[in-house]
Amino acid sequence: MAEETLMEMESVQDLIGSAGLAAKIVPGPNDEYYLTVGEPAFDPLVTTLASRKCVLIGLFCTEGFSPDARFSLLYVFEKKNIVLILVRNSDGTATSVARIFPSASWFERECRDGFGIRFDGAFDERRLFLHETYPDGFHPLRKDVRNIPVTMRSTIDVVGEYPFRSVSGNGVYQVAVGPVHAGIIEPGHFRFSVIGEKIFNLEIRMFYKHRGIEKLAEGKTPQEVVRIAEAVSGDESVANATACCRAVEAIAQMTVPERAHYLRTILLELERIGSHLGDQGGMLVDVGFPLGASQFAVLREEVFRMNASLTGSRFLRGMVDVGGLSRDIPKRQLDELGEFIRELKNRYRIGLKIVLSTSSVLDRFSPTGVIRRSLLRPLNITGPMARASGGRVDVRINHPYGLYDRYPPTMKTLNDGDVLSRFTVKASEFLDSLDLIERLLADIPEGGVRTIPEIKDGYALSLVESPRGQDLCWVWIRNGTIERYKVRTASFCNWQAIEHAVQGEIVPDFPLINKSLNLSYAGTDL
Amino acid sequence: MVNSLTCLLKNKVTEEDIVRDDEIEHLGREIRREIDAVFGRSLAIRELDTGSDNAAEIEINNLSNPYYDVERFGITFVASPRHADVLIVTGAVTQNMVIAARNTYDAMPSPKFVVAVGDDACTGGIFKGTYAVLGGADRIFPVDMKIPGNPPTPREILAGLLALMKTAGKTR
Repeated sequence: MAEETLMEMESVQDLIGSAGLAAKIVPGPNDEYYLTVGEPAFDPLVTTLASRKCVLIGLFCTEGFSPDARFSLLYVFEKKNIVLILVRNSDGTATSVARIFPSASWFERECRDGFGIRFDGAFDERRLFLHETYPDGFHPLRKDVRNIPVTMRSTIDVVGEYPFRSVSGNGVYQVAVGPVHAGIIEPGHFRFSVIGEKIFNLEIRMFYKHRGIEKLAEGKTPQEVVRIAEAVSGDESVANATACCRAVEAIAQMTVPERAHYLRTILLELERIGSHLGDQGGMLVDVGFPLGASQFAVLREEVFRMNASLTGSRFLRGMVDVGGLSRDIPKRQLDELGEFIRELKNRYRIGLKIVLSTSSVLDRFSPTGVIRRSLLRPLNITGPMARASGGRVDVRINHPYGLYDRYPPTMKTLNDGDVLSRFTVKASEFLDSLDLIERLLADIPEGGVRTIPEIKDGYALSLVESPRGQDLCWVWIRNGTIERYKVRTASFCNWQAIEHAVQGEIVPDFPLINKSLNLSYAGTDL
Repeated sequence: MVNSLTCLLKNKVTEEDIVRDDEIEHLGREIRREIDAVFGRSLAIRELDTGSDNAAEIEINNLSNPYYDVERFGITFVASPRHADVLIVTGAVTQNMVIAARNTYDAMPSPKFVVAVGDDACTGGIFKGTYAVLGGADRIFPVDMKIPGNPPTPREILAGLLALMKTAGKTR
């Protein structure tokens, strides 16, 4: 074992405290550590991890993983640069950890829907991604459930009603919004409890777009799953595809050519600048400032056109592949990109200056939709929205992958946690990404972009910083095909912050707050 | 100090139109002609996402950016299905969206047209056959025009809308 790994191993052992358990830690292929924990030791260990300020970044179920039980629950904990996965075997029941780690609540509900796991002591036992029209006792991710449509009819009758938390009191009334919204937006339901114009409580209901991505991936080859990963969320295509590829590559210990690493990083950053531009433009539309919004919209369209000329896809799809990239980008086009980036930087600065010197914009941006720093860890809030609330979280810095250890981005944090902070953090990240692309373009080596992949069996976790934050993916390959593909985008966790961010704000500010958080419905609903 | 005089004298922030795309202008003029003839000068579109990966929405939103600015051709995106002539559907139809999708369609006044945008909306795409998806938009209501793509570009969406106008004009 390399010295670095040994040192990291020691810090993981320190983290769990108990020497007996520490001896059983097994390193995984992608810098993650696995520890199988028996039932008596589990609850005390979770309490220890909580007291050591670990974050529960993922919790998912898989079937047939251990010979000892039908199901295994994998709890993914993060502490700074350490990722520790607790494997807990279960025959269908487990104790809930949601009271200690609030982020577990949605995770547990997801496991309950998918596999029928019962969590004792859970404070929320409602269904999550299976809405009322799914039959009772249907758990699609179990291996004995065939992946065929639940309904063969073309209409579905309304059955039952989702029990929203009810808030009552003098003057409290409810406003129901969605799933179909007034604008060109994805579907989701927002249930506001309002006093006058002020939001007293918000409860969100998602998963209208649940397409069954995880089940779809099972039995497919890793290459096929990369295309599925691109369809998780359109504007995070590169991030999710990269996360999936990195897991598959780590399992087989494939060496990705240097040039492919450079190009992948460029694509990841291009995706980030496109997303940030769209987001900033959207925020300005929502405060009624079309002058600023149009500046960003024009730049974004140009980024999309640049994407198309580089890769043939405005969403950079079809490029990232297992073993590297599916094709090279010729030097002439990279030179054009460099030219474009230089010009983009100047034009962006002009737009940004107009926006940040307009008082009507600043008035709406601040102090609106505050996310308190104390929420970040319990809910695993990541990405620009966490950094705008003082959170020092960025996968590119905490768990550098690809080239990010050699080309580290600068951590941009602000402390106010309002819409203005999110706008400003995104602006500095945008400029930082442009610098990064320029540095990468200057240093990019010649050579091939793809090693012929050799698929091996095994499992690995992979983390990637998408424009929205931490995207997690866990891939388990058995007999050369995907046995389980778990994907949890940043939005899955980040969505839950909106319920807190809007409290006390007025309903008309909701679209602005929502836009500033830039949450993906598709990436959450899967 | 800001007063009315400085406002009058200071340099104007407006500038000439630097974004101009001749192909889009041409396509747009043709659409304008068809909309004037068939739809009495304005075409109201309601967008419905039944389970897309959000790329198609981004492209439809892009139709309003200064490069395309489709409103000048007579195309407007409306907030309510009750105001719409055309329903643009994106994404495969999920089990969880069927009821809301059907309600949206039923709320539109006749005559109405449905356009499926993107591979998923056309056929169900890669999601066809999963437990959570019924299929393409034509599984739940009649579809008049399919614009395939992953996702189709704004230009392809405009070309598809033009084709719809032309068929609608003929069947009048």
